[in-house]
Amino acid sequence: MSDVHDEFLAEAQEIIEALSRDLLFLDQAQKEGNVQPDLINEVFRGVHTLKGIAGMFGFQTLSAMAHTLEDLLDDLRLGRVQLSQEVLDVLFEGVEGFQRLLGEGADQEAVDVKDFAQSIERVSKKSGGGRATLEELDLDESVLAVLTEYEEHRLRTNVTQGTPLYRLRVRFSLTTIDSNLEELKERAKSIAEIITYLPSVGGGDGDEIDLDVLLASSAPANELGEVLAAGGEAELELIRRKGVRKTSHEALVPPPIPIESEPPRRPTPTSRPPAPVHTPAPPPKGAAGVPRDMSADALSLRSVANTVRVDIRKLDHLMNVVGELAIVRSAVARITERIRSRDDLRQLAIELHRVNRGFERHLEELQDGILDVRMVPLGQLFDKLARIIRQVAREHDKEVRLLVTGAETEVDKLIVEELSDPLMHLIRNAIDHGIESPKVRELAGKGSEGILSLNAYQKGNHVVLEIEDDGAGMNEEMLVQAAIRKGIISRDAAEEITSQDALELIFMPGFSTRSAITDLSGRGVGMDVVKTNINRLGGVVDVWSDHGSGTKFTITLPVTLAIISALLVRVAGRDFAIPITSVQEAILLDRTAVRTVEGREVISLRGATLPLCRLDHLFRLLPVQSDRRFVVVCAVGQRRVGFVVDGLDGQQDIVIKALGKSLRDVRGFAGATDLGDQRVALVLDAPGLLEEVLRSQELPSLGAEPS
Amino acid sequence: MSDDPKRQTIVPAGQSVAVRAPTSASMLVGAPVVRELLAFVIADETYALPLRSVREILKVPPITGVPRAPADVLGIISVRGRITTVRDLRRVLKMPEGPTEKHTRVLLVEAGDDEVIGLLVDRVLQVYRLDEDEVELAAVVGGDMSEHVMGVGRPRATTKRDEDGDAALGNEDILVLLDPGPLLRRS
Repeated sequence: MSDVHDEFLAEAQEIIEALSRDLLFLDQAQKEGNVQPDLINEVFRGVHTLKGIAGMFGFQTLSAMAHTLEDLLDDLRLGRVQLSQEVLDVLFEGVEGFQRLLGEGADQEAVDVKDFAQSIERVSKKSGGGRATLEELDLDESVLAVLTEYEEHRLRTNVTQGTPLYRLRVRFSLTTIDSNLEELKERAKSIAEIITYLPSVGGGDGDEIDLDVLLASSAPANELGEVLAAGGEAELELIRRKGVRKTSHEALVPPPIPIESEPPRRPTPTSRPPAPVHTPAPPPKGAAGVPRDMSADALSLRSVANTVRVDIRKLDHLMNVVGELAIVRSAVARITERIRSRDDLRQLAIELHRVNRGFERHLEELQDGILDVRMVPLGQLFDKLARIIRQVAREHDKEVRLLVTGAETEVDKLIVEELSDPLMHLIRNAIDHGIESPKVRELAGKGSEGILSLNAYQKGNHVVLEIEDDGAGMNEEMLVQAAIRKGIISRDAAEEITSQDALELIFMPGFSTRSAITDLSGRGVGMDVVKTNINRLGGVVDVWSDHGSGTKFTITLPVTLAIISALLVRVAGRDFAIPITSVQEAILLDRTAVRTVEGREVISLRGATLPLCRLDHLFRLLPVQSDRRFVVVCAVGQRRVGFVVDGLDGQQDIVIKALGKSLRDVRGFAGATDLGDQRVALVLDAPGLLEEVLRSQELPSLGAEPS
Repeated sequence: MSDDPKRQTIVPAGQSVAVRAPTSASMLVGAPVVRELLAFVIADETYALPLRSVREILKVPPITGVPRAPADVLGIISVRGRITTVRDLRRVLKMPEGPTEKHTRVLLVEAGDDEVIGLLVDRVLQVYRLDEDEVELAAVVGGDMSEHVMGVGRPRATTKRDEDGDAALGNEDILVLLDPGPLLRRS
């Protein structure tokens, strides 16, 4: 069940991402006044598919929301609602809502669908549209069934605008029907819009035929009757609505129907138009659950056919297995060494060594392969940011154009996720503080539209991300003054501060130059958190700014990283991290319980003997006085050792980074990690140390490590 | 706030590939006329490294000691997220210990093999641009010079690029030119 559920989440996520992308295109198109109907259809299909699968998997709220959005999109698609920035706001809001609903789970009421429906109602009204359904009309089903999409569109438009609809029954001679119709159209042109005309049901005989003309007019009924009846006998009847609906009689006269879109219908009963074969007009509400465009669904299935979605935890698991294999490999290497020392088995040892080398190579390949699978393009993140940029820019009445390069650059999935918040913050800052309002920009001789660039590229083992705006830039003098006021630096230090250091003041905790707090930024908790978060990913952030011409943040990140959970401990005044996977438990050391067995310290732990290893002693560090010490029980397989430490500093997710090549011969450490504020802690290679400790106990004569 | 040298000595990204693993022979035989060197002091002696091998000059950050590391390794630091090994150049050159003072700096030097090493020096002096005839090759000087010594620089007063004057050397002063490759290689 949960697998299926995950499957749904992944697919929904994919759709939402695509929607988000399409909306951005739509936004651009709207600004340029060149909206492609295809794009709206694309969004429509996406929402439709989402609605379908959400319903199927019991995400009723999501499904309902998709349904309301689908209606709005339908209106857009058929031109009843004009695409405006307000409508786009609602569409973006909708996609945002989908995202939230997905995150919160099926039963959450995190998004008020009613509220959302009202937003939709509002924009629909505003755009001169409105929810209008034809079943409210007192019209024969058979009439509705044969309307072309365009006719139905016009019908809806008139219903929405509240224009009264009429049915005009006229009788024409079959021989003169064409000219009669032309005449009727001509007369009606100034006063009414003819939506369609159909042979009346059961009407007509011999060489005469009755036609039902469906028309809309805001002119008074008697005047209308006069004008239309001028050519002969005619019967005018107002079409009522079933539901009582308050309508306003706006004097908007709908544009006349273009002739070419109205091919004259042969008004004989036999040539009555068949039901349209393809793309029928959307059926009335209520029937909307029926997929009306199967090809769209097929398309979305096809596009993912050659990719596989994998839960990142499965990859983590594989990675751990690779780690275990590496341990096996080194065990084999040690055995090989032992065999080699026997003259009679030397040949065998050489062969074993060769096999083991091959094993090692493939293991590395496997590891690289898994890391590669974890990679995702940054474009996913950029799309999300683009949405926020649009929203923030609109909230602040700023014009922002986003330029993206390198969206295809790939980064570890975890990095992408962790990057989202820091980047969001930088972008909000850029729009809020950086890019000026259009007026100010024009005064400064810049284009009214601010340029925000997101650039990504790979550089060696790192990925570089640049967030650059062409806004006001930062005023170093103001930064320094603010820092002095807040006691971040002293006046003396401010005297000799370099411009680069002045800029970096923004990363100090508690720094904020804005006196007024805006909803976006300026709370002064931002930039230091951004820096910390990026550091935690093993990345760094640099800032460049030129007062008056812009600001640029450069983030350098490792392409991949291994985040692990670790227990932070203190030994002889230093910090060390122990990967939590090796830690069984940590207990207070009871000195009185320590026994010595053959020169080794041991304690009893739940009935079993636990050998102890004082890390300060093992690492030849000067022991510090401490009243309380702790035992961190580490286990690999069945073997356990209690490492004695001076203090426990809690558990933390850390990024293991390799030590430089010049330290690769140093045993006992898996790497190092950045704890922030320039503190670096070594990460213990727990299995290695464990083995080392136990081996030196078993074979004391061997000493530390054979080389 | 060692801003100026910092700014000057950062090697542009595009060049970093080219400067990897410079060798004394290729640099000195038929070398271009001008040689740029960064001069610094350890235990009152003046040394210099090729400027393009020095990526950056840092004030001494907190250094995390690494148990079991070789004796000349002071520990590790994080330079923009990259774990970098710091070595004491006094110890590398087998000189007596010295205190860490106000002017003590860490030079980030390209050690070859794609690694950047931090080198602790007492004091950074300045950048020299030496003509060919101001450099004496180790081979020419002869004697029992170590492998990591490329030669000796004897800057003429006129060729110094010394903006503020306070770090100027006298005419008779010499620079021991170090070759980062052999200097930082582990045997």
